[in-house]
Amino acid sequence: MNKLLQKDGNLPLFYQFFRKMKLTILIVTMSILSSLSAETYSQTTKLTIAENNSTLLNVLRAIEGQSEFKFFYNEKVDVTMPVSLEVNQKSITEILDKVLSSTFVKYKVIGRQIALYDKGEMEPFMSEQQGKKVTGKVTDSSGATLPGVSVVVKGSTIGIITNMDGAYSLSNVPENAILQFSFIGMGPQEITIGTLTQINVTMVESVIGLEQVVVIGYGTAKRSEITGSIGYLSSKDLKEQPHLNAMDNLRGKVAGVNIFSNSGTPAGNNMAIIRGVGTINSSWEPLYVVDGIQMTSIQYLNPTDIESAQVLKDASAAAIYGARGANGVILITTKRGGKKRGTNVEYTSQYSFGTVIPKKNSMYDPMNSKEFMEVQKISFDNAPYFKTYPAGQEPKLALNNDLLFDSNGNPRYDTNWKREVLRTAFSQSQQLNILSASENSSAGLFLNYATREGLFLNSYSNTANIRFAYDSKLFKWISIGTNIRITPITENDAEIMMGGARSIYQFPPIFPVKWPDGTWSNSSQTQGTNMSFEGLMNPVGRLLEEKRLINRTQLFGDFHVDVHFTPHLELKSQVGINKELYKFNYYLPKSISLGAAEGNASKTNSETTFWQNENYLTYNRDFGDHDVTFMVGASWQKQTYESSDFSVYGFSSDYMQDYNINAAVKYNHPTSDYYDWTMNSYFGRGSYTYKGKYSFTATSRIDGSSRFGKNNKFGFFPSGGISWLVSKENFMSNIKSINLLKLRTSYGISGNTEIGVYKSQATINSSTVLIGGALQPSSTIARIPNPDIKWERTAQFNIGMDINVFNNRISFEGDFYYKKTYDLLLDRPIPETTGFTSVFDNIGQVSNRGVDILITTRNIVAEKFNWTSTLNFNFNKNRIDKLGQNNEDIFPGPSWVDGSQTILRVGEPVGSFWGRILYGIWGTAEKEEAAKVGQLPGMKHWSKDSKITGKGYPDIMGSFINRINVGKFDLMMDLQFSLGADILQQFNVITEGRNALMNGIKNQLYNGWTPERQNTMVQMIRNVNLSGQEFHPDTYWVADGSYLRGNLLALGYTLDEGLLNKLHLNYVRVNVSVQNAFVICSPDLKGDDPESMGFYSKFGQNIFEQQYPKPRTYSLGLTVQF
Amino acid sequence: MKKIIINVFTVVIFILGITSCSDFLKEIPKNQISVDQYFKIPADARSIVNTLYSEGVPTFYNSGDWEGTPMMLDGYMSGLFDNARKERLGPTEAQNLTLSPTILQDYMFSLWSTCYNAISQSNNALKYIPGIVGLSQSESSKLLAEARFFRALNYFYMVKHFGDVPLITKPYGSLDSINVERDADKKVYDQITTDLEWALNDGGLVDVPFYMNGFRITKGAVATLLADVYLQMAGYPVQSEGAYSKAAKFARIVINSGQYKLISNGATPKESAYNVMRTSNTEREYIYSYECDPQLRTNNSPKYCVPMEHKPPFCIYESPWNAYRPLNEFVRIYNPDVDLRIQNSQLWHNKIIRNGVTYDFNGDWAAYLWYDEKAIYETGRGSMNINIYGYAEVLLIAAEAIARSEGVTPEAVSYLTDVRSRAYWETDRDQIKSELEGLSVDLFIKEVWKERLRELPFYFKTWPDIQRTRLYPVTNPNNSGEVNFENVVGHTNPWGATFKEYHLLFPISKITLQRNPNIIEDSYPN
Repeated sequence: MNKLLQKDGNLPLFYQFFRKMKLTILIVTMSILSSLSAETYSQTTKLTIAENNSTLLNVLRAIEGQSEFKFFYNEKVDVTMPVSLEVNQKSITEILDKVLSSTFVKYKVIGRQIALYDKGEMEPFMSEQQGKKVTGKVTDSSGATLPGVSVVVKGSTIGIITNMDGAYSLSNVPENAILQFSFIGMGPQEITIGTLTQINVTMVESVIGLEQVVVIGYGTAKRSEITGSIGYLSSKDLKEQPHLNAMDNLRGKVAGVNIFSNSGTPAGNNMAIIRGVGTINSSWEPLYVVDGIQMTSIQYLNPTDIESAQVLKDASAAAIYGARGANGVILITTKRGGKKRGTNVEYTSQYSFGTVIPKKNSMYDPMNSKEFMEVQKISFDNAPYFKTYPAGQEPKLALNNDLLFDSNGNPRYDTNWKREVLRTAFSQSQQLNILSASENSSAGLFLNYATREGLFLNSYSNTANIRFAYDSKLFKWISIGTNIRITPITENDAEIMMGGARSIYQFPPIFPVKWPDGTWSNSSQTQGTNMSFEGLMNPVGRLLEEKRLINRTQLFGDFHVDVHFTPHLELKSQVGINKELYKFNYYLPKSISLGAAEGNASKTNSETTFWQNENYLTYNRDFGDHDVTFMVGASWQKQTYESSDFSVYGFSSDYMQDYNINAAVKYNHPTSDYYDWTMNSYFGRGSYTYKGKYSFTATSRIDGSSRFGKNNKFGFFPSGGISWLVSKENFMSNIKSINLLKLRTSYGISGNTEIGVYKSQATINSSTVLIGGALQPSSTIARIPNPDIKWERTAQFNIGMDINVFNNRISFEGDFYYKKTYDLLLDRPIPETTGFTSVFDNIGQVSNRGVDILITTRNIVAEKFNWTSTLNFNFNKNRIDKLGQNNEDIFPGPSWVDGSQTILRVGEPVGSFWGRILYGIWGTAEKEEAAKVGQLPGMKHWSKDSKITGKGYPDIMGSFINRINVGKFDLMMDLQFSLGADILQQFNVITEGRNALMNGIKNQLYNGWTPERQNTMVQMIRNVNLSGQEFHPDTYWVADGSYLRGNLLALGYTLDEGLLNKLHLNYVRVNVSVQNAFVICSPDLKGDDPESMGFYSKFGQNIFEQQYPKPRTYSLGLTVQF
Repeated sequence: MKKIIINVFTVVIFILGITSCSDFLKEIPKNQISVDQYFKIPADARSIVNTLYSEGVPTFYNSGDWEGTPMMLDGYMSGLFDNARKERLGPTEAQNLTLSPTILQDYMFSLWSTCYNAISQSNNALKYIPGIVGLSQSESSKLLAEARFFRALNYFYMVKHFGDVPLITKPYGSLDSINVERDADKKVYDQITTDLEWALNDGGLVDVPFYMNGFRITKGAVATLLADVYLQMAGYPVQSEGAYSKAAKFARIVINSGQYKLISNGATPKESAYNVMRTSNTEREYIYSYECDPQLRTNNSPKYCVPMEHKPPFCIYESPWNAYRPLNEFVRIYNPDVDLRIQNSQLWHNKIIRNGVTYDFNGDWAAYLWYDEKAIYETGRGSMNINIYGYAEVLLIAAEAIARSEGVTPEAVSYLTDVRSRAYWETDRDQIKSELEGLSVDLFIKEVWKERLRELPFYFKTWPDIQRTRLYPVTNPNNSGEVNFENVVGHTNPWGATFKEYHLLFPISKITLQRNPNIIEDSYPN
């Protein structure tokens, strides 16, 4: 509904042109108009209206509902006046003549816009030959003409809307008047006319399009009326970068949404955390809602399918998802069918190649053969230093192996495993969208095929994506829609060790990739020497011959019905099904096996089926100053999981592999698993806005889950929020520098249900045990029951401000939040004398407090040159407030060597590293002191006890994005930064601590302790086999994890219309980009990239194994619309 | 009209939806059985008892990987054994006596939780089995006896290693009264002997060697454990009166059953009794073993007996290591001139000769009893059972217990002679016997202790003997075979660390202390 509001009593401003329409759609719609005659539309469109004893407002709404007509009027037009109207298949002029005949309201049809005005006023678009005439053209920042822009003389009723070419012409403009230009989604502009007669204006996109309608979960709302904290992302934001992974594309775009890209594998390994870690045992990941259907991950969603994304951060927004909302909610809306009649085809093609980023400090590169042998020699020479040998029996390096060493004992090979294992990775993606629309229906077919290579040889992921979306208005009061998606993904999860690059660093360089006889080398082939290495399979052999094939298939479908009982009351009912099939086929061939070469095959299958039914009624009515929306609904969900697993070994050849496991002579016990869970919820939301200035929202949800104890199946999650659009107040009208000021605050409670099944029950685990040479049934009691387990709750307070100043040149959006999660669903430690080590209970509390900041500045706004900068970041402080009954420390893992590498301790953040302090290396002068703790000079000088040595999650994470448009060129520079996290370099023990047992980095040789070089943190070279080794995670392993990443540098060029017309194309865009161009991080970091996760455990954030390297990717893309 | 009908229809569906069945949220596990549905049929009783065979203490003989098994920690504690791969902390902290409630806290916590988990399973079995309908009286008794045997075995480990520990004899069904206190070691021992004596007298267990009973608990296993328990009780710290005679009594039950005998040596050292132990799972010498199987449960020990740096080619284990390396201070307890056990490839080895090539360990020794060639060179899967109690130990318990309670009787002498004469394969039995006859009780007992050191290192008796005698075996670098016993408290081990009294027990983990404020660690400084 469109209303020409008066601000200063007689100043009309155009507000809210379109409901439920976003900027892009608008532009498309407007461009359609250029091909149609506006007059034709108003003459040919026939409408049927039946509004008895109604109001003028309802009639206008009915017309808008059936057609593309939009009304504008000011407050002198009393739309609440009672009217009655029944017409059948009449044109707009016939209808308006009839309904307005008995009133003082006059109208004027301009294309699809209809202005209503009081008879006493002058006709708004008539020139009366007083004052001067001003003409001009309005364009957007890319230079495209903008139709539909409102041009108004400030303080008068004189105004017009730009035509299809973006041109306007205003007559009767007083001298020294000010022209106001406004358009949805664009920052309004004011220009003093002075002596000018031609004024061309470039509109710049507004950060906060107040009138933009956004998805908020079970409905939509105007941004101006939202009381919560919501992050927005449009397809435009996503379009600028190459599409690899939906999660990558969200990265750095919304303050408070921290996405950790933890691996460089083709499938990626991303983790999203919104406003800090608010739970311990339950899932940390936000809830994803794709087109209304809840999901736990969007990793395999086709990124080009995303139309827009909204992030619900605070309780006012997220509490509508109740028990699944505590970690925040990411709402994804996918693209739908055509918006204009006929068929439209868009093709996007993208090619990219990724390369290894060279290491900055060569000391952190693996040693070559010469260096490697030097370490061997030193380690043998040092052996008597660590252990007393009988005279003459001191170990001496013996190298009697002709394959590895020449007659002088020099290594024959010097293999650079890094070079052998890594490659330039080529990837491509082809997307074809076919959109079509007719009078009452629209359909869209979205096809994508993408192949992605990882930097490791033979590591790839191939994805096909077929999606069909269909919407139809069956009758004027009922519409339906469906969305069907099939996504098969084939991934070779090629790895060389522990999911990362570890064997690049470990595998001795003295081995060839293949022996002259064509067989793969392995690290145990040291016959004739007295070197003994840790047994490692040949990394190249593993990549090429080991099979680790993952087949995933996602089948997704949803169907929804919208019933409009009245223009104000709507029922929406939706059913969605998501089925994920997972298959892992594994074969370890005999050709690369170490030890017993038997051929090992395994097959793992799992199937997860989820269905969801949601029904909700929405009532929305605008009573002039009072805008009211109510929504109530109910939801049912069920997930079923089943899996099976077989593994066999003892093949006579490598031929059959997993294709025929019957061919193997031995097998391990097969396994299977099953569980299901259900949820049933009732929810409601009421929102009320008074005079467009004061908004109130209250939501509540009652969730019932099968996973909770008998006594606490249901949980209640309320929230409330208020916002105040201060800039709409009269007293603000004189403060010209402030264009927008909005204050909002909210409080509410959401929950977390992502715990395992049966946690409240005592159950018996059944298995088998070896007795008498055969397996016998066995059973164990799984846990102590706790029927009182209830929902984990997160109470969140949010206060935020949106402000735009200096003609919208600077806009600021800031939120402070305090999030307290209590009744933590925790594996509460209990005395082990009970027979159990923990019971699942609601105990403990974690809090997060922080700020989200988004600042956008329009540095240069000119016709052909625009420069916009956006800085967004989240500052978060995480703290464990309470744990267990006695505030016991909890060691949640990941566990290694010295037990858990992290600790949960009251007063400290989640993800704190646990280890010793390394004071240095014992010096020659400290021999006696060292002896007291069983150490020698050259060995590590540690603190006695373990302490907290760092933390894995950052304090500040954000991005700084610059966009520059010059003519048809657009340039984007996206820098991302993270501050305050630490990195626990666990690989240190491999690369520096296991001297001579395998290869390592050069640092151990060139900076290792010697009597001559005592001022170092690197231990003296000692042969692990002869002299042992020792290690604790210590402070030397910890490096500063802060970084600045050149995330994306993208340059695009859009062909101009002239050329397009000659080519008979609608739109052509070419873009080139570099992703991950550079990373600036601590010089102490010996790994490749400052972001990684150890052991795939959420507690393992920033605990580094030698990770799968992340490429620097160069891309070239082309988009064509026919 | 149509509109109204549809509208009404959708509203009805909506309302129906809201009020659908209330069973929707009921949770019914399918891959697990809820406890309410369990303990109903005889099979349930068998299943829960079966579990005990591979829970708790038995697993301590076959787990641990890099740091060696928890049983080896006893050896490291004595300072007489080393794990050549010092990658994990257990061995180092034990040898240097640097362990404390915080250092090795995870390790100590895991010992507690593993034992108490098994105890809890036993408690459940003992509580629920009597109520199961359809279980014959005799089977019920047998199962209860097995459950009691395992409860005793776990409590014995706990009380031996931690002293006063909480005594829990009923399963927990809720979180009520979980903060228990430590009970006096005497009380725990009393429960152990009560359980075992019940199993022996009322369990209806059969009296045949373990392997002949399908590797299930026998009367002999119960009596042996009882004898061992009483021997330990007789010494420090409990010093229970009359315990030696009880130990003798139960050892005699085993000996007099006639079911057990020592394996005899064959014609050549290759066919010695020790090599039979290394390669055979079914002998009358074995009283209680932890079963292994190449497929169903691999024995990890073979990888502990080849030093990584002397690994012969085609060793299947990528990284074998000498995890239970006897220090020279230990090796010297054997007299290499007479004792078969310290010849290469008997109980220990100091080189591997394979395909004509010698891989000398450069003066080190490693376990040979675990040298499973098929596992090491072909399959990587150890197949030998791990023997937890053997007949030699019973004979040595009997010799010591009889000497203590009845004096150096011919019976006591004969038992020690049986064990020693097998090892001194070229020495005349009568000569051995005559050297023992006429010894004072004190000297005789020391001979038994020496024999225990030499014969039972793979039964991990070195440390429990130090614990109960509070004496540390000291060998003579110039005279192998000579062993003197000195007070352990104040003694410095080969790693240069000096024993304090509290080192005779393990520290209680800080994790345990935090969880239950009623448990107090009162000896270890922290």
